[in-house]
Amino acid sequence: MLSLSARSHGDTVDINGVVAGDEVATGIPGDRALLAFAEVCLGDDAESIAGARGQVMEELGEAAMVDAACIVANFQRMVRIADGTGIPLDPQMAAVTAGLRKDLGINGYSAASLTPEPGWAARLLARLMKPFLPAMMRRRTAPQKG
Amino acid sequence: MSFDYTGSAYAIRDDIPDAHREIWRNIGQPGNWWRGEDRVAFVEESRNARSCRACEKRAAALSPEGDFGPHHTTTNLPELVVDIVHRLTTDPARLSRTWLDKVNAGGITDEAYVEILGVVVAAISIDALHRALGLPLEPLPAPVAGERSGYRPPGAADSGAWVHTVQPENASEAEADLYPGGRAGNVISAMSLVPDAVRMLKTLSRSHYLPMRCIMTPGDNAGRAISRNQIELVAGRISSLSDCFY
Repeated sequence: MLSLSARSHGDTVDINGVVAGDEVATGIPGDRALLAFAEVCLGDDAESIAGARGQVMEELGEAAMVDAACIVANFQRMVRIADGTGIPLDPQMAAVTAGLRKDLGINGYSAASLTPEPGWAARLLARLMKPFLPAMMRRRTAPQKG
Repeated sequence: MSFDYTGSAYAIRDDIPDAHREIWRNIGQPGNWWRGEDRVAFVEESRNARSCRACEKRAAALSPEGDFGPHHTTTNLPELVVDIVHRLTTDPARLSRTWLDKVNAGGITDEAYVEILGVVVAAISIDALHRALGLPLEPLPAPVAGERSGYRPPGAADSGAWVHTVQPENASEAEADLYPGGRAGNVISAMSLVPDAVRMLKTLSRSHYLPMRCIMTPGDNAGRAISRNQIELVAGRISSLSDCFY
């Protein structure tokens, strides 16, 4: 989703920061503070969390810190739903992200075996469709209400 | 009033405590397969897991299988259920189909397991936000007496996950609200064997992440104070640190 989001705005983003953490400058404003905040929030060290929280506030403001905390909370839920039910990646997403997953090295995660690697035809089709993906996803979800 | 954030050092959007109250109410109610008091106990055990020595030993071990001693428990839940809640909380990336088979062999059906999962992940998420903001944890919800419904959605079937799910094309009228656009990613339908678990997921995602209509629109941040790139950076980092492939 980060890759798609960046492309939709024409931003250049190094998504390796997702895996490598703050060693990589992603090009996203406040990236190091956000990554550090995300990391310490997985632990229980209240002092470290407070420090990282303060850094996000200093760089991005209080409302941004609260929204970042919400994302941290949300994805601690989502990872457990995925891990706890053994769902495979959605086929379209698996095809579109095949190269990306290889580059990021996340095919080594244990749950990767739940998703069959897409065949060459699916990968080729995904590559051809990639520039149109943001628009296709918008159309796909247009009728939904929050 | 529960989830009163008026004394917080930070301004917190009103939709957040509203969502949390709705979830707490839901957790306290009897579910499809568990009583209200059991569901509240799942929350209590999820909190216990964070200071559980056995869970700490297991997380440090090369294999999650083995004897790591008794869990730190304060509830009357059966040992197997305590173990399920603690694993979901502290070692979710190493859950497996083989493990779930053993859970089933121990008498916990897939339906009952999914209900545990739905309650635990909702509570973990709310507690995680409190920790991130330096807020004390909310007292446990009040359990409500009543009968379990025993409801299993008629459209539930094998869709490639470890547990049966209701895919949008198989949703009956009772589950139509789960997929208003007629389609959904696997992570949304993952817990649909217990439809209220999906409803809780959607309630929390709407306030913690984004409204459903915005999720698949790259670049849409629903007016949040951070950009969609920043949102997905944090989301991706949490997933990566949690060894989550999905």
